[in-house]
Amino acid sequence: MPAWLGDNLITIIDGVAFGVLLFTIAVGLSLVFGIMDVLNLAHGALYLVGAYLAVRFAGDGQATAWAFLAAGLAAVVVGAAAGAGLAVLARPLGRRGHLDQALLTLGVALVVGDLLSARFGNDVQSVPPPAFLAGGVSIAGREYPSYRLAVIVAGLALAVLVYALVERSRAGALVRATVADAPMVRALGVDTGRLVVAVFAFGVVLACLGGVLGAPVLGAYPGLDERVLILGLVVVVLGGLGSVPGAFLGAMVIGQVEVLGVSLLPQYASFLVFGTMAVVLLLRPTGMLGRARKPG
Amino acid sequence: MRGLARRLVTIVAAGLTVALVAGCGSSLEEDQQGAASGPVKVGLLVPKSGVYAPLGRDMENGFRMYLEAKGGKLGGRTVEVVVADEGGGPDTGVPAAQKLLQQDKVTILVGIVNSAVALGVRDLVADSKVPLIVANAGANAITGEQRSDYVWRTSFANGEVAAALGEYVAGQVKGGKVFLAAPDYAAGKEATAGFQETFEAAGGQVAGTELTPFGTTTNFQPYLARIQRSGAKAAYCFYAGAEAVAFVKQYQQFGLSSKIPLYCSGFATEGGVLKAQGDAALGIRTSLHYSDQIDNPTNKEFVVDYRAGYGDAPTVYAVQAYDAAAVLDQALAKGATGDAIVEGLKGVGEIDSPRGPWRFNDGHGPDQIYYLRETKKQGGTTVNAVVQPLTGS
Repeated sequence: MPAWLGDNLITIIDGVAFGVLLFTIAVGLSLVFGIMDVLNLAHGALYLVGAYLAVRFAGDGQATAWAFLAAGLAAVVVGAAAGAGLAVLARPLGRRGHLDQALLTLGVALVVGDLLSARFGNDVQSVPPPAFLAGGVSIAGREYPSYRLAVIVAGLALAVLVYALVERSRAGALVRATVADAPMVRALGVDTGRLVVAVFAFGVVLACLGGVLGAPVLGAYPGLDERVLILGLVVVVLGGLGSVPGAFLGAMVIGQVEVLGVSLLPQYASFLVFGTMAVVLLLRPTGMLGRARKPG
Repeated sequence: MRGLARRLVTIVAAGLTVALVAGCGSSLEEDQQGAASGPVKVGLLVPKSGVYAPLGRDMENGFRMYLEAKGGKLGGRTVEVVVADEGGGPDTGVPAAQKLLQQDKVTILVGIVNSAVALGVRDLVADSKVPLIVANAGANAITGEQRSDYVWRTSFANGEVAAALGEYVAGQVKGGKVFLAAPDYAAGKEATAGFQETFEAAGGQVAGTELTPFGTTTNFQPYLARIQRSGAKAAYCFYAGAEAVAFVKQYQQFGLSSKIPLYCSGFATEGGVLKAQGDAALGIRTSLHYSDQIDNPTNKEFVVDYRAGYGDAPTVYAVQAYDAAAVLDQALAKGATGDAIVEGLKGVGEIDSPRGPWRFNDGHGPDQIYYLRETKKQGGTTVNAVVQPLTGS
């Protein structure tokens, strides 16, 4: 169907761009839940921290590649510190179930959200893309913003990096072993406590980087944190908890559903994302690439 | 032990109840006596948190600016302003209104951004005989045929703002079709319906209508692709806040702005959102009852004073609340009880507003001029330049 494809090519590409953005948000959430069994509801707020870092460094006509690089570096530092802090806060709640953790992280999310609106105000802030990506390119006769193509490239690079780290490196092997059977890893003489802090920090760094990457697309404003968190949770549930390929697959599916799906069936726009999640959960309750979790 | 504790609790609770009842009684008496002499309590119900907080800030600024210019008096009576946070919607706004009515016992209620809050408060104010001056919320049903004696509006109705644009756009596209886009909730539907009515009456044809999920849409690409595919000559949209920023920026990024002219209800380019849209907003034509660029002496003075007081250009939200204070200034001259103020509101004459002169119509809404505005660069900042008046009063 070349005519159909020509009409929708831009939309499909945009679905990929939206998908890789969702991946950077969701993969941290997925890893933290997978390894620590902590549902980090502050994840969206930390995405927003990253977005405001982009506003701080690259907003107001100073949008150069260097400014974005600086915002990215700041996101790594801030994200690592915030993630380690959250891991320390969450540790005493380890045995007290998900509800207490949800209360803690939701509380942190509310405090962070209020601090951000106290610092940056309640107005919608937008960040222009770096100057050399400000224009558009023509694809199949339609204009497409260059920055979104750059998001695809950066997001895919990030996905490969995360995959290599988690699935192919020694540290990643320990992380996956901890997901599967933490007491056994401890018995082998590995300090899973430090591992847990590192994974938490890594996950939050990804959220902050996602915020910097997404700022020129989604902007920064109070309330964006919740929207991002909900989409992230949907991706994690869809893909399977604790699985990097699962998070990627889930993000790609939700990206296409949110963009191509909405374009083809606009009247069902509100239901498509959650409808997809419901269908996947009916067919595969552990998510598309999720494994059944060991009890206890 | 447990028995003792329970008895203690009962005694304390009983004591508290007695104290509360006594307290209520005395404050009621005070109210009835104090109405004539003490300050008039105005409850200002505006959002101080949530997505509408920037609008609430502008409204509070506008109201206080008028009050301060009059030395803290309206209609010759000293006014005490009690502010309550409307928040993001009726779940916070209606309880805040109840608090102002029952606990603070305000004589008048002013403000309200959200239409659902205004509709939820409408019966409350009628029951407690406290007049309400709506200074933003645009639901058609707040005024007009379903008006209440106690509810007046200094702002606009969603349908009217959009309707003002219909005939003009029909003349511009000359037989071409126009695509309509708005968020899928009451205000969006009222706006597209209002536009469609006058647009079709002037011979225009609609290419399609897209109602996007309200409050959850961040990526408009799928809808923009539909607008491109429809072959429309122009597009009309109703968006505000974060959605207006995203829609307008993406309209430019996906190359629509150079090919399909965009017309909007003016909220899409008003105040803070215009700054966030940057150059993407240039060339958009909107209808609204105010622009800080209006060339009349009242507005020029107002803009200078507002900038001096609050460090930024005034918005339509500030003017609506400023005018609410101007209306009260006339109404309070007649009396300071709820029913006397309602009588006063019925007798309010022409208001010499920064937006141009206006007066209440029979439906308790403003009979006002809507302006055609175009976003232009002026000395480094983007402004809503006035092109022409769309409707005269």
